[in-house]
Amino acid sequence: MEFFRITRNAWGQETLEGISWDLLPVAFGLGLAIIIGHFIWRLIRKRAPDGGQPPPAS
Amino acid sequence: MSARPVSPAPGTDPGDSPRSLITRHAPVDRVFHWITALAVLLLMASAFLPILGLKFSWVPLHWITGVVLTAAVLFHTIQSTFFRRLKCMLPRPRDLRDLAQKKLAAKYTLPQKLMHAVLGSAVLLATATGLVMLAKVDTPFWKRDPYLLDASTWGIVYVLHGAAALVILTLTMAHIYFSLLPEKRAYLRAMIGGQMTREEAAMYHDPTRWSGQRKDDPRENGK
Repeated sequence: MEFFRITRNAWGQETLEGISWDLLPVAFGLGLAIIIGHFIWRLIRKRAPDGGQPPPAS
Repeated sequence: MSARPVSPAPGTDPGDSPRSLITRHAPVDRVFHWITALAVLLLMASAFLPILGLKFSWVPLHWITGVVLTAAVLFHTIQSTFFRRLKCMLPRPRDLRDLAQKKLAAKYTLPQKLMHAVLGSAVLLATATGLVMLAKVDTPFWKRDPYLLDASTWGIVYVLHGAAALVILTLTMAHIYFSLLPEKRAYLRAMIGGQMTREEAAMYHDPTRWSGQRKDDPRENGK
């Protein structure tokens, strides 16, 4: 997987073009992982003895 | 705006009823939020769909929406810096202590502050680099000048813009998911209508640190 898009100009020099779009599915997957991770954590927390209730007012 | 009673119990102060509504977001903040939301979704669609193979003339939509987003972000930055208590939105060590001690938050919880800080920083980076990249676009207002920066500097600008876009994609997905959770639905309703009940606010917010009253209340934005 590439992190950057790099091209060569007419003189053979490498030029930075931008971030690699190979990272697009990674960013999407990370978003999905946060959602699924939180959803599972939420289910586990709901089954906890306190039922995942928020803390009492101080 | 003062609290508006829904179904006050007889003989009680309607404003103090758990079901009475309190203001969480002023109309100006809600308009800003939804303009930003629409702009970010349009920007992501016009940026990522062509990469995924959907070909259309994405550049005009992208730069015009980017200008709208920049104007909205500029307005919000000035408004929150000079006319609001900026401190109430910044993550502070106290938030960590409160979380560790399981204390209720003021107007914003630590996760809300962190989401705002990271997503806001990514949007700021994307708009700042996007403004520079406007030099490469022909518009009715100016002619493109691709030689404004040298090739390697353009590369850095593109990398920063792309990295910010990817962070925005990840966090926008998380933001939409959290806003749709049943236990957080009151926040979504407050972002649409501006208000939530005292009961809903008391689930996550300490009423002594954020009362929800707006006028003449120094705690309006939370202590």
